Amino acid sequence: MSGKKVMSGKKAMSGSISYQQALDAYLNKTDFAATDLNIDETTLLDKFHPDHRQETITTLQVGPNKGDRCHKQVAKVLQADSRIDAADLAGARIKETDILVIGGGGAGCAAALMAAESGAKVILATKLRLGDSNTVMAEGGIQASIEKGDTPQSHYNDTYKAGHEKGVKDLIKQLVMDGPETIRWLIQQGMQFDLNEFGDLLTRKAGGTSANRVVYFRDYTGLEMMRVLREAVGNSSVDVWDYSPAVELLCNESGHCAGAILSSLQDCSYVQIKARTVIIATGGIGRVHLNQFPTSNHFGATGDGLVLAYRLGARLRDLDSFQYHPTGVAYPQHLSGTLITEGVRSAGAYMINALGERFVDELKPRDIVAAAIIRECKEGRGVVGNSSDGNDGMQGVWLDTPGLEARNPGLLQKRFPKLVQLGLKSDIDITKIPMLVYPTLHYQNGGVVIDENGLSDIPGLYCVGEVSGGIHGRNRLMGNALLDIICFGRRAGLHAFKNRQTRGHKKISIDHISNLRRELMQNEMPMENKSPLLFPEYARYDTIINCEKRGSSSHCGGCDI
Amino acid sequence: MSHQPTKGHQIINQVLLHPDSQGTDINLWFDGNGGTGLENALSDPAAIIATIQEAGLRGLGGGGFPTYKKWQFVADQEVSPDKYLICNGNEDEPGTFKDAYLLSHSPHQVIEGALIAALASQINKIVFYINPEQISSLNNIRQAVEQWKTCDYYTLIEAQLGCSLSIRVMESSGHYIGGEETAAIESVEGNFPFPRGKPPFPAVSGVYGCPTLINNMETLANVSHILRKGSEWFKALGLGDSTGTKIYCLSGDVLKPGVFELPMGTPLEDLIYIHGGGMLQDKELKAVFTGGVSSSILTPKDIDVPLDFDSVRQRGSSLGTGAMIVVSEGTGIVKRVTEYVNFYAHSSCGQCPPCKTGTFYISQLLNKIDTGQASSADLESLKNLCKFLPGSGRCHLLDGAVIIVDSSLHHFLDEYKSSLNG
Repeated sequence: MSGKKVMSGKKAMSGSISYQQALDAYLNKTDFAATDLNIDETTLLDKFHPDHRQETITTLQVGPNKGDRCHKQVAKVLQADSRIDAADLAGARIKETDILVIGGGGAGCAAALMAAESGAKVILATKLRLGDSNTVMAEGGIQASIEKGDTPQSHYNDTYKAGHEKGVKDLIKQLVMDGPETIRWLIQQGMQFDLNEFGDLLTRKAGGTSANRVVYFRDYTGLEMMRVLREAVGNSSVDVWDYSPAVELLCNESGHCAGAILSSLQDCSYVQIKARTVIIATGGIGRVHLNQFPTSNHFGATGDGLVLAYRLGARLRDLDSFQYHPTGVAYPQHLSGTLITEGVRSAGAYMINALGERFVDELKPRDIVAAAIIRECKEGRGVVGNSSDGNDGMQGVWLDTPGLEARNPGLLQKRFPKLVQLGLKSDIDITKIPMLVYPTLHYQNGGVVIDENGLSDIPGLYCVGEVSGGIHGRNRLMGNALLDIICFGRRAGLHAFKNRQTRGHKKISIDHISNLRRELMQNEMPMENKSPLLFPEYARYDTIINCEKRGSSSHCGGCDI
Repeated sequence: MSHQPTKGHQIINQVLLHPDSQGTDINLWFDGNGGTGLENALSDPAAIIATIQEAGLRGLGGGGFPTYKKWQFVADQEVSPDKYLICNGNEDEPGTFKDAYLLSHSPHQVIEGALIAALASQINKIVFYINPEQISSLNNIRQAVEQWKTCDYYTLIEAQLGCSLSIRVMESSGHYIGGEETAAIESVEGNFPFPRGKPPFPAVSGVYGCPTLINNMETLANVSHILRKGSEWFKALGLGDSTGTKIYCLSGDVLKPGVFELPMGTPLEDLIYIHGGGMLQDKELKAVFTGGVSSSILTPKDIDVPLDFDSVRQRGSSLGTGAMIVVSEGTGIVKRVTEYVNFYAHSSCGQCPPCKTGTFYISQLLNKIDTGQASSADLESLKNLCKFLPGSGRCHLLDGAVIIVDSSLHHFLDEYKSSLNG
């Protein structure tokens, strides 16, 4: 992806140690002493976690969450003008369906499959291609309480606690109770998991959990999941529309969601999809690079679903809470932000600072580990990566894969082939040289407020996957995202068809956009910002608007990333 | 663009939406504007119709028919065995929400008006006929009616009528056509709201063959105030030759949409640019759809039109219910008209074949044009339909659909042509 002008993480500070110097020191050491691992977590988060930086927070001035705290960059897209006017719809064809699913990741596919199996006519519209999503990025695995001695109650307790007790209890209950059945369904679809010699599912422990509960397939569980979901969708009656991002929802005369307007990237035209029910599964917003962090997110994670739902009046929550995955690649620079699975730490890898010390319990929840890494770097114990321009690059800490390999020979190749491959791409043999890691913007904890079936405040509008909020509170456990997307995706697909509006919509329109514009004008907000973004700022994609700007409405060359 | 207000611009919400007319508690109503009008009516029932005539009150549901005439027709009929008053709250036109506002915020003035009408025309059965989707209207009017039944005025009215008085609150079927006078009568009789042919007119033979008066909620709401403060006062409220006030429902591409009670005859310009806060995003005005059947489109050249029945009619449109749906540049007219006609096609009761098939075909053609799949032959078909369909339905629904298409073809033919595909 050449468009990845990822902003720097932490630039070198005086007192930090150079890559070569730190690497030499590391290689000369065999025993890594732990500093005091009993840290005051609240103080650590307050001082070092990016969510706690007050200068990045603002208060929303328009919409159903008016007055709520929100990250400034998120507020900018939520409080922007629509990309379209009513006049843009002149001549736009209308297509009718029962259920429109927006988003071609795991949640969207699961929802579409269940709805189609129930007998619904389903259109699945995706911004790029089916499977272009964060689901394929998920490496570590999926949680479900399937081991002897483990229970949904323990899973519930761990999830609630890791979310700082801010998760919605009913949603967590649904998530953990559906866990085992979700795994069974995935296996029925054809998904593979790593098994022991008896054919039983292998499990491992995620950070912040009390039991071995993560099932996985090597270190590309999400990719395997997406493989089977894609095949299943391909073999179903779901009508897949690639390269068709949704630019606005449609509402009916009563304010119910009644479909969406898609912008076809292939022929530069708008299409109105009139649907009884809409399921948004567009993922998160990592690609706006909050706090200028690199991100592990897929290119399409621009918060489109948040914007669309918010404009129609859906309430959102926890808009100031994001997850920074502790182990994103910090060096080499061109891979910055790329995720290294938590599974490596689950398997026993240490995190080591430039002084050769362990500084945190690696299996603490992600926000604690991330904050601890940032603390090490800020306090001069980080390693400075080399930059391609000869200057100092990003800081980070070591992920001790050589130590893990020494304790478990052959484990890396067997369990983490993707990581080994990633190292080779950078001329680093991870069995001998540690990777330099730094937190990467990974997950949007908050999102659209939903009920146990994924239904938002707006009748006819469901939101599932990362676009929804409340399940993970203010911090997510490893493996709960893959469970969330399948569990709530399936529930929404079933429920949406059962509870679809039986009478057709009398009238479909984008009248709600006028309300947005009124609010923006009355609050003297700038009207020049447009959203949904669809693509990161640094992408050059031939959307209709970009075509018009260049005065070449006939040309549309597709992706130019 | 600067907009100079007319003399009436500051006089807003002075009668029906005045704070003293609001509230769902009958005691608050009597403490405010309530009771006096009814007392005056009780003291001289024979003078009520004359007072209404002097005040120049007209039907505010869209027709603009002089109210006193309707009342007089019914008053002139023999009681056989009952006389009915249907208070019409079926309100379902696009952009109209005034009755819902009145009933949910100030039901007592409507009920007091209905009681005065009963006194004037010797009516013994009152029916509040309300759209079932207006839950809050239904709840509030039900509670308010119960409060009236236990107050002293009720017995005084029965004594004056010489028979018992019944008040019933009923849900309409929810069909748009149920708001048409004769359809409402069918509905009250428990039938599907198929409009009837006229004559006989409802005043002669309405519910179960009895003389029946049908008034809109806003019309009735004005009555107690006229009886309270006199016809001269009411006449002076209006601008120009108009009398009284009108509740305008402003929606569409304006900064501050909402309900505004303004002097009858307030110019469209004042409504949009002063009360409505101007156009959204300061875009240019393109058109205004007025609410109710028989309404054609107003265009920017009509911006100065005083919003009263006669002035709007002179511009070839109709004031209708007082709904003004404002459309700015940047909005496709074909789409808006298509939405309207879809609504009519959806609302046709299907009784008259020309309406059933006519609205359907017009709707199909418009949808085809709007979605860029129509040819010039389709546009010609549309024009032809507009020529021969009017007048062939029992009620005005078909005419309403045609008028709006015809009017948009007249003003915005180029937009239709640009949407054609070959």
